[in-house]
Amino acid sequence: MDIKEKQFDWDWQTTSKTNWWQLDLREVWGYRNLLARLVRRDFLLSYQQTLLGPLWTLLQPLLTVFTYVLVFSKLVGISTGTVPPVLFYLTGTILWGLFNDVFTGTSTTFTTNADLFSKVYFPRLVMPFAFVSAQLLRLLVQLALLAAFLIFYSFRTDVTIHMNAWALALPGILIVVAILGLAGGLIFSVITAKYRDLMNIVPILMRILMYVTPVIYPMNIIPVKVRWILAINPMTPMFELFRYGLLGEGSFTSAQLVYSLVCTVVCLLVGLFLFNKQKDALMDIL
Amino acid sequence: MAKLAIQVDNISKLYQLGTIGTGSFKRDLHRWWSTSIRKQNDPFELNSTGENEAQASHIWALRQVNLDVAEGDVWGIVGGNGSGKSTLLKIISRIIRPTHGTVRGRGRLSSMLEVGTGFHQDLSGRENIYLSGYVLGMKRHEIRRRFDEIVEFSGIGQFVDTPVKRYSSGMYVRLAFAVAAHLDSDILIVDEVLAVGDAEFQKKCLNKMQEFTRTEGRTILFVSHNMQAVSQLCKHILWLKKGQMVASGPIQSILNQYSNQSQINQLSQNWHTPQEAPGNHWIRLKSIELIPQKEAEDSLVDVRTPLTLQFKFWVCQDQLRLLAGFQLMNQTGECVFDIMTPFTDCKRGLVEATCEIPGNFLNDGSYSISLIAYRNSWEDYFDYQNCLSFEVEDFRGEGMNFTGKWWGSVRPKFPLTLVHKPENQPLSLSL
Repeated sequence: MDIKEKQFDWDWQTTSKTNWWQLDLREVWGYRNLLARLVRRDFLLSYQQTLLGPLWTLLQPLLTVFTYVLVFSKLVGISTGTVPPVLFYLTGTILWGLFNDVFTGTSTTFTTNADLFSKVYFPRLVMPFAFVSAQLLRLLVQLALLAAFLIFYSFRTDVTIHMNAWALALPGILIVVAILGLAGGLIFSVITAKYRDLMNIVPILMRILMYVTPVIYPMNIIPVKVRWILAINPMTPMFELFRYGLLGEGSFTSAQLVYSLVCTVVCLLVGLFLFNKQKDALMDIL
Repeated sequence: MAKLAIQVDNISKLYQLGTIGTGSFKRDLHRWWSTSIRKQNDPFELNSTGENEAQASHIWALRQVNLDVAEGDVWGIVGGNGSGKSTLLKIISRIIRPTHGTVRGRGRLSSMLEVGTGFHQDLSGRENIYLSGYVLGMKRHEIRRRFDEIVEFSGIGQFVDTPVKRYSSGMYVRLAFAVAAHLDSDILIVDEVLAVGDAEFQKKCLNKMQEFTRTEGRTILFVSHNMQAVSQLCKHILWLKKGQMVASGPIQSILNQYSNQSQINQLSQNWHTPQEAPGNHWIRLKSIELIPQKEAEDSLVDVRTPLTLQFKFWVCQDQLRLLAGFQLMNQTGECVFDIMTPFTDCKRGLVEATCEIPGNFLNDGSYSISLIAYRNSWEDYFDYQNCLSFEVEDFRGEGMNFTGKWWGSVRPKFPLTLVHKPENQPLSLSL
């Protein structure tokens, strides 16, 4: 047997152990066509046999914003500063929607793809990556909606929109938020595959996270005493920066931005390596 | 020596039985506490020397399987249900990891462990060809080049843009196989997918696979219950039984052995002492026998022949509340019937059961008998699968010149006659 092992250099081999550091992203890249097809599948499926089709991508944030404006602005009376409530809630809703959808969607990677995973080998990371890509594409449509609102408000004389150079950071913000969602989703995909009942805590967790992120309120209405809760949340500076760039109102420091970026990188690495390490062991219990 | 495409090196696979997740969070915590905090040995670690192997909650799906597949070889993997064939294919396909051992391979490998991998019901045939092709590891240019060929092979024609949920099951299978059959990989792994689809298409698939190996020199691992398909296609066979290798090598020798053991009639088995007999600590099988009530000594068992099944157990306990029964399976593994005694209080010693299967009841075909015995409840049992096998020949009476296969799981001769009934009213239909 030993002679044979030396005789050939093998292209691949499978042993009982999955190496922590054996993260083969080049292999994932080799499957980019599959990823593109999965994104396409996602789109084709979302809008088949639906009444309004792709309009839902727009209606969802619109209806949410309508509710928020009605409840938080009119009834509760949360001040959104000089920013019109509609724009304030629209920015928050779109950005939060991205995080929420990415996190929730990728957290069931193993359970929703159990059938496929048990029948064919391909780099498992393709599935969550495809999901994130699909969500980012969907987001473009929502950004168009946001742009339309910005243009509409900029023609009105009673409000002024202070859009500034920070708006150029927009793609970066979206990517950071998507990566945070993906990292959380990857970690939870492993957890929910092992302990199914923990799937129930994902929605609860998302709700708690939403309230410690400045989605429905601006940072500056929070009492200074409890601001640390928002400060440890790496998403907070992203939301504030997003609003500052587009609407001219939001508070963040460069230290907060660096903290947010470092957190994102760490979370992503933890998520990727945990996913990679556990993906094979999980096949036995799926 | 030809170059190896796949080397399976001492592969074992251990599965944990029981419901998933019960107590496993607790156990994981326990393990973490023991190994990481208290720096002790892992309380649940599997012992490779085999001390924990007999644990009832674990089962070895594969044990120390070795296989060297040279490039261009076609291997058939045969074995009964639960022999570990699929587990082996999944390990070679890199879907699951072995518990011990290594699989090494050269070249691109594609596996067809089911029909329609990656297919989505709501998408069109065209979308599914691409999706399934990519999932199976094809490159974009390969699918483009082969697209028309795939559509033609599957015969779906103008339905290529129809969602596959509107396809007939035959069309679906044909399309799914067509995608896989056009894979440009060096190694193809096929698991019993040929069991579906109509006979004509099965033949087409076999031809396609033969063409695949003959002209393009690819390596194929093929699992099938269809012995005919295996013998047509494969030059080498790996024979597994309960996760262990019985034999492997060139087809001819193995095929004979396999047929001898599993196909030929085995009408009786008996054991002389309880120690060597199959069973457990409360029961041992002494003998099981099928006695045909033949008219002449040398005549065959046919559909008219009454059969008597008789089995004897040694009861190894002073008091035992016992229920015994047997199942008759046909050649496709379907259960024709399942008969059981009532729960009976037995004393230590020998117990016997006899069952008469009347003539003119079974259809023609091959059958096997599995035995089962329960103690006290439905949880505690002993079973002995496929302990007997036999053939029932066809018989057509005088005046019956229908020569096709007689339908049905059973062929009872219930009385059915046509009787002339005089009617009062004259027949008014003008024909």
